[in-house]
Amino acid sequence: MSYYGTNDFSYNSDFNLRVRDIKKGNLDFSWLDDARETVKVRRKDPRRGLTVEDCEVGPYSIENTPEIVRENRGLAPRGAILAEGSEQPDLGPSLNKKSDVWGYRVQRYWEEAMSRQWNVSTDVPWQDMDKHEIPDEVEIAFCQLCTLLSEVEMIATDLPAKWSHHMNSYFQEVKGFIATQAIDEARHAEVFRKRALAGAGLFRASVRGEHALKGILEADSYSEGSVFLHVLGEGFILTLFRSSEFISPTPVEQRMFQLVMQDEARHVSYGLQHLKYLMDNCPEVRPQINGFLDEAERHLTGLFNPDQLESMIVLGGKGTTPECIRHGIEVVGAFQGKQIEEYFHRAERAGLPERRERSPLLELQQRMIAGITG
Amino acid sequence: MAIKFPSLDFFQELANRMNANPAEFEKLGFCDTVMGVKVDGDTSHLYSLTFDIFDCSDVRELSSPEGAEFDFMLEAPLSLWRESLESIQKHGQPEPAYTLNSLSHVGDRMKVVYDDPEGHDKFYRFMATIQAFVNQASDLEIEWA
Repeated sequence: MSYYGTNDFSYNSDFNLRVRDIKKGNLDFSWLDDARETVKVRRKDPRRGLTVEDCEVGPYSIENTPEIVRENRGLAPRGAILAEGSEQPDLGPSLNKKSDVWGYRVQRYWEEAMSRQWNVSTDVPWQDMDKHEIPDEVEIAFCQLCTLLSEVEMIATDLPAKWSHHMNSYFQEVKGFIATQAIDEARHAEVFRKRALAGAGLFRASVRGEHALKGILEADSYSEGSVFLHVLGEGFILTLFRSSEFISPTPVEQRMFQLVMQDEARHVSYGLQHLKYLMDNCPEVRPQINGFLDEAERHLTGLFNPDQLESMIVLGGKGTTPECIRHGIEVVGAFQGKQIEEYFHRAERAGLPERRERSPLLELQQRMIAGITG
Repeated sequence: MAIKFPSLDFFQELANRMNANPAEFEKLGFCDTVMGVKVDGDTSHLYSLTFDIFDCSDVRELSSPEGAEFDFMLEAPLSLWRESLESIQKHGQPEPAYTLNSLSHVGDRMKVVYDDPEGHDKFYRFMATIQAFVNQASDLEIEWA
């Protein structure tokens, strides 16, 4: 036990006397005195059920919450009555400013996440694995990719979990959304592990990749962690998933990537909308975010470690003959170019068009491709 | 009875099938997007498909994308749409090279036209639903234009 409260309620004589009085039937109903504005919360569309957005009304609405939450540092849900003069415990949230965490449309992403959950055990056609023959080198390359992706998904599970309790409880929608992200990412780690074990097994863990992933987890602020994970990292991984579906050896892997792709794209959308909200409402952080991204983009190239790059080339070319490798290099080069271009476009839309000019990514990509071909 | 491709009837039939099959599409989850489908040939055809929760609630043919508020538009020549649909008809689902993702990824055989990256990302957020929507053509008798 590391937390000892300021009051031992079990021995508090006032409290004990009051409980005895209540049990005798002497209720004072003081908790009914606080006047509440009555709100009407109903389903706007019965097919969606009662949504988070349906509950955005009156004093419960995020719109009616100040940019900086000062009065609540505990677990009170937004709109609850805080007892005057009483001492709520301070749970020490460090993210008390809406722009620290909020993203446009986050309520919708939460609902979408809840409705589009899937199950690794039953939604991937594992029963079809034996119907298809995969050449050994392609299978091993695929399992090398699964090994890296398992590492990536571990960090993507940990980052939202790390920041959730730092968020003020008034930002429940963001806490809820990143909780769905944590379960999505845990499911992704599960699917890649299961696929590897059902095939050739897990292969080399990535030293470079893990350094890159550590950079995400060690970000100094939630916004930095979010822009690194959601916009940069998951944006890149989304394109990698697209490519992986494209080069999937069989319909089993194809289905797997279709499903993980959907979750990943939702996380990217939230990250984009958080970055946009941050730039719109807190433009003074732009130099800090840019400085962070200068380093984060360098870190990210760690994901292009030689094992992963070679396995992608083998998968892209569907083999290890010189001709297959030549074709694989073309496929991987094309998707890397796409990763970078889509990232710049997202950054531009979020309000950071300067990334295209100052980013080290283009030069690094050219160096890597030259290294492979050269 | 054969349905012509491309035609409004073709996409309306897919919409009808989707709306009559809640079990499959409710399992895939909410899908809220407006997408364009452009089929290039001697005469180009453009269709607007509105997905709303679990249904395809609106299908229409447009003379141009001007003014249409698409989240994204898939654009490909008729020959590629035909190859893709024939793959679906042969296997019940597309072979790996003919999924919407594969067609629109490396080589850009199918173009994904978009303005806002969030609209673009909807293509991926709802990929399983959109692919399942197209896969419903597996047992349609198609008359090619």
